[in-house]
Amino acid sequence: MYQDYAYLIVGLPILAFVLTIFLGWHLPKGGGFFTVLATFAGFILSFGIFREIYPNNEIVHQSMHWFASFNAGILIDPLAIVMLLMVTFVCTLIHTYALGYMEGDPGMARYFAEAGLFTAAMLGLVFSDNLLQLFIFWELVGLCSYLLIGFWYRKPSAASAAKKAFLVTRVGDVMFLAGIILLYTNMMRLNLVLPEGAYLLQFQTIYDSLALIPPDQLTWIALLLFGGAVGKSGQFPLHVWLPDAMEGPTTVSAMIHAATMVTAGVYLVARMFPLFYAAPDALMVVAYIGAFTALFAATMGLVMFDIKRVLAYSTVSQLGYMMAALGFGAAVGATAVGVSMFHLIGHSFFKALLFLCADSVIHAVATNDMREMGGVLRSMKWTGLTMLAGSLTLAGFPLTTGFFSKDEIIILAFENGAFGLGWIPYVFVILAALLTAIYTFRLWFLTFDGEPRSDYHKHESPWIMLGPLVVLALFALFMGMPTQGQFYDYVGNNFDHFGVDFEELAHIGGHHVEHGHVHEPFIFKILPIIVGVGGIIIAALFYSRWKRFDPSMVTSERDPLRHILLKRYYQNEIYTLWFAEKVVYGIALVSNMIDLKIIDGAVNKISAVSVGFGGTLRKVQTGVIQNYITAIVLGVAALLILIQLATMGVAI
Amino acid sequence: MVPLVLYVLLASTMFVIGLYGLLTQRNGIKLMMCVEILLNSAIINLVAFSAYLPNVNGQVFALFAIALAAAEAGVGFAIMIALYRLYGTIELDNINALRW
Repeated sequence: MYQDYAYLIVGLPILAFVLTIFLGWHLPKGGGFFTVLATFAGFILSFGIFREIYPNNEIVHQSMHWFASFNAGILIDPLAIVMLLMVTFVCTLIHTYALGYMEGDPGMARYFAEAGLFTAAMLGLVFSDNLLQLFIFWELVGLCSYLLIGFWYRKPSAASAAKKAFLVTRVGDVMFLAGIILLYTNMMRLNLVLPEGAYLLQFQTIYDSLALIPPDQLTWIALLLFGGAVGKSGQFPLHVWLPDAMEGPTTVSAMIHAATMVTAGVYLVARMFPLFYAAPDALMVVAYIGAFTALFAATMGLVMFDIKRVLAYSTVSQLGYMMAALGFGAAVGATAVGVSMFHLIGHSFFKALLFLCADSVIHAVATNDMREMGGVLRSMKWTGLTMLAGSLTLAGFPLTTGFFSKDEIIILAFENGAFGLGWIPYVFVILAALLTAIYTFRLWFLTFDGEPRSDYHKHESPWIMLGPLVVLALFALFMGMPTQGQFYDYVGNNFDHFGVDFEELAHIGGHHVEHGHVHEPFIFKILPIIVGVGGIIIAALFYSRWKRFDPSMVTSERDPLRHILLKRYYQNEIYTLWFAEKVVYGIALVSNMIDLKIIDGAVNKISAVSVGFGGTLRKVQTGVIQNYITAIVLGVAALLILIQLATMGVAI
Repeated sequence: MVPLVLYVLLASTMFVIGLYGLLTQRNGIKLMMCVEILLNSAIINLVAFSAYLPNVNGQVFALFAIALAAAEAGVGFAIMIALYRLYGTIELDNINALRW
């Protein structure tokens, strides 16, 4: 019964967007409760649908004819329903928090309107039943992120961060679109006879025709689609926009990092997993880029002093884990989708939590810089403890959600190595896990432990902000244990609903599905626990009240490694100063020249000819009436003579 | 009865006189008078042929043409007065504001 109203999951937030943008100015709190209620209603609906389809393991599919050969449709399968539940749930909490956070901002109505649209776009992306519709919502998500990152558009840094986010993700979007076009042309070439109600670009149709598309084409399509995911999900080398996206309100960062936006890329790869599976080379790229991003971003999180930036790099790093997990699917098959999605869901809980906590602290302390904090726990008990919960699970402390999900990814990495697909990703993810634990607790200790290092306001945030924190903290800690096993089965078997035969796809890709478990030596089994707990201890030894070492003992001002990390691997230099200002600016100069000289030149020449011609011709208009009359008389006379000649039968 | 050819001759004479005036004169009023002469030469033709055919249509047409000519003269003189107020002259050579 709930599934008949599935369209309302997106419809209500869009309605909230319309209401807040037109009426918000006249309502208390900018009409924010519209957005909160709409998102919460979306959660209720999603939950209702989940209850309907989970027991019998069904899916919901509704579709509508659209233009000549496309359709608009809703597809709610296990993969989509877990995303819908997560997005609506986390967004409801973030919007509720924002009711307190945005209080008093003159742009409150605009904020809630855009946030509502952002949520709607993400939900629409998730339940699309075809790639084109997904792409449309994908672009809408990009637009909303631009609007929200640049929410305080009078601040130059916010405006430029918004532009950066838009332009960098655009690079990925172009690849995504190219991938769709390539896929479409390949499917057109097959001359498929589609059954009633099926369309090209529908996921079902794509899965069905994978076996018919040439493998090299599949690899290209997969790589292009992955390019889109790299842009959206902040993978190396298109991750640069994500740390800058801090310029928006923190609730926006929480939304971008946890629920909406960055998870879209992972979701896309998970959704197209059969295609990637048939193209193992592309899957290998996914695994390596994901694992590399996980490590690369974690190293930078280690040295940042801006509390939000540390979290931003941790997001990039965790997204790397999710991508890598999907990449390991080459070895273990569709189980990887379940594992990756589980980390995604868990991550969205604890990352939303961490961002909101960080914001609660910033709200009170009025600085982002951890060097000026310290000892905040004494004045902000609830914030500190909920943040501890988030940090524990991010660091992968045993029995928290993050532990289960990350542990599983590390096991996949091990199997990936054991099946002969390379040990490098394993090394990357295990190192990244260690660094994650260190930087997370460095953050926590620097902020909440020790003595206050500056004179800040000591007060706790209001309950409308703390409430969501507590709920998120409970989920971040305890969601993992009871749901883990069912989750892997439920989402991992997602593609059975579409009749995807992974054996056949593996055959196309030239590899085979590995059945059975590899025997993992004991040391590898406990290694995730060792690095997780070990990282926390290392952080405690360096930064907490039980401090035994000082950071200056292992590194100095002149340490090149420290320098390179603080400079963030010279990314700014490479991307902005070299690439943007030299290469792109050079290209821009050349195209400007071509535009001015060749294109404008041609247009100007053509117009100059007619102007000159007209200038000469207008001399005829003397303004003397007699001249005109003479012309008329002569003309009439000539006409008469002609008529006369014609009637006399003279051939003219 | 006066032969038709004389009427036609009269009409052509008037036409040529009017045309000559149009081509040589510079004064607005004179030009308008010349136009009237041209018009009247055409009307004489109409009436003459109508009387000879015999068919009354031509004469009815002539009446309409006279009425129209009167209206046209009214408009024309009004324009001349407006021009005179603006430029202080109706010598058309001097009125060339819209020329290039």
